Amino acid sequence: MRRVMLGVLLTGALFAMSLGGCAGEPDEGGEAAGDTYRIGAVLSLSGPQAGLGEPERRAIEMEVERINEKGGVHGRPVEVLFEDDATDEAKAVTAASRLIEQEGVIALIAASGTGQTMAVRQEVERAGIPQMSLAGGSVVTAQFSEWVFQTPWPNRIVVPFTLGYLRDSGVTRLGLLIDSGAYGKDGYDVIMAEVDRFGIEIVADEQFNRGDTDMTPQITKIRAAGPDALLMWAAGAEAATVLKNNAALGGDSPLSVYGGPGNGRIELIQGAGDAAEGFTFSAGKILVPEAYGVGSDEYEVTTSFIDRFTERFGVGPDIFAGHAYDGIYLIVDAMKRLPEGFTPEDLRDEIERTDGFIGAGGTFTFGPTDHNGLSEDDLTMYRIENGEWVLVGQAR
Amino acid sequence: MGGTELLQFVLAGLKNGSIYALVALGFTLIYAATGVINFAQGEFYMLGGMLSVWAYADLGLPLPLAGLVGVAATAAVGGVFELGAIRQRKDGDPLALIVITVGGSMVLSSMARHLFGPNERPLPLFSGGGSVSVFGAVLEVQTIWILGLTALAVVGLWYLYNRTGLGRAMRACAVNRDAARIVGIDTRLMVTVSFLLAAALGALAGLAVTPLTQTAFDVGPTVGIKGFAAAILGGLGNPIAAVVGGLVLGMLESVSIAFISSTYKDAIALIVLLAVLFMRPQGILGRSSREKV
Repeated sequence: MRRVMLGVLLTGALFAMSLGGCAGEPDEGGEAAGDTYRIGAVLSLSGPQAGLGEPERRAIEMEVERINEKGGVHGRPVEVLFEDDATDEAKAVTAASRLIEQEGVIALIAASGTGQTMAVRQEVERAGIPQMSLAGGSVVTAQFSEWVFQTPWPNRIVVPFTLGYLRDSGVTRLGLLIDSGAYGKDGYDVIMAEVDRFGIEIVADEQFNRGDTDMTPQITKIRAAGPDALLMWAAGAEAATVLKNNAALGGDSPLSVYGGPGNGRIELIQGAGDAAEGFTFSAGKILVPEAYGVGSDEYEVTTSFIDRFTERFGVGPDIFAGHAYDGIYLIVDAMKRLPEGFTPEDLRDEIERTDGFIGAGGTFTFGPTDHNGLSEDDLTMYRIENGEWVLVGQAR
Repeated sequence: MGGTELLQFVLAGLKNGSIYALVALGFTLIYAATGVINFAQGEFYMLGGMLSVWAYADLGLPLPLAGLVGVAATAAVGGVFELGAIRQRKDGDPLALIVITVGGSMVLSSMARHLFGPNERPLPLFSGGGSVSVFGAVLEVQTIWILGLTALAVVGLWYLYNRTGLGRAMRACAVNRDAARIVGIDTRLMVTVSFLLAAALGALAGLAVTPLTQTAFDVGPTVGIKGFAAAILGGLGNPIAAVVGGLVLGMLESVSIAFISSTYKDAIALIVLLAVLFMRPQGILGRSSREKV
């Protein structure tokens, strides 16, 4: 009996403490706290998408330091609170609600993956704060929410750009090899909806799963259908295996392989080695900033970011770091344009008024129905030659 | 579909199947010694590749030596895992041990994530690129390595089990642990040895595949599940059955892609697995008499 009583007392005490903790928190976001603006970031720092979340965290940390060195916003420092969602949708929701309820953040950068991004939406809409997604799924802005913005080039922009390039290269019969994950599925849906417009016929349509060690059966089947080229839509490590299997199966006449922004990773070149030679993919211009034109504003912004990132971390930023750079600056720039004492709703409205913001991923112009703000002009085609990304302006 | 393409599917099935077989052998060895399923088996596969990459790229060792270091270090991890976690559970309650292996797998992958980073890392092909033609079908040289190493491991294991005192002691343990202890066999040592061997086999699979796929901290669970399915399919506790189960599973996947769809290849393989277990709960080659758990 005494033990039970003790338990009840302890529980009560804990309750009181947590309540007390809540009562001490500001209600109106960072405003009442007085000195700092707090922004939450839910990223995948562990789990399968840790390779995305880690560079994203680095970029945000580095840029926030820089922003604060220059006096922050309205003379007040900006603080970013990081939470790890472990590439798990349920954990992302918990992390988002903790940041919103207990830390009183005025905006949320979330998340690295499309699944987690969609999962936290209900929390963001309930709280009424803007969400900046770093995930590339079309669904993020296609299933429109007035609170949700997106920094990467979504598939609905990248896919038509890529198909246009394929058409101009004379491809009419196309084989598809798709990652069965969310990113691949999203791309697949857009590809199937768009191919007719480009006069391209899908002659083979195969999938592989995350962690598969061998794609020779799929490629054998695709080759048997006699396509002009192979379009791979996959972001993970398996892309390198696809290129290797294709090179081995092809011998003297391997299929030409094309891909998307998910393949703009140095690990792909390291992993596929010689098999990566000639692989052509679409992505933003951050990989080779010269694509913006040397001396242009975009070029200066991007190279400055690349130089600072490389100096600090010893490796260059990848496209994911670029998406995070854009995410934090889109929020902070809108904050700077607002007078002191703004509400999260004011911030949302101001982010939506972003017009011609030059970031690492392109030039953003948001609108009431466009929360991605990028266009095909922000994309370019790359080919891997001698282990390096080379710009391919024109179709061959 | 032509004969060449058919042969290509068979070769792909053999290649994946022999990887599953090596992982399945690890499941079977530990099951025979302890009566539990080791859910950390996939992590041994991951560590085999990862530690070899570490020895090759970070320590700068030549590739054959790096591979040896990778496999040996993983075997050591397996042994330490048994001594530090499995053996500490004195009553040997199977359920508790299974939960310990689940925890162990999380610890191993988290540590790999922490030590080696979140991104995939490459290892060069053992003997350069290139492939040979087999009746028109393409056989990558690295695949020959995978098949050869699997065959070598199976022969080595057969020799150990049938021709050495240690192997006989391990088999005695698997048949009846109490009786083995009474005749003077150190059954605890046999459990440790089985973890060492299982880790080494998983590591060998990881090492052989990494030049084709690269490796990362999170590759363990997927292959672990495939190896587990292969071990069950063949019949748990029997090394030959594990190899048969692995090859059958690899073939099933490949044939599903060839004749049905790559979208459903895993589902088809699992449905066949269920169907086999429905008709033969002990697996293809398993014996039905003994109740192990």
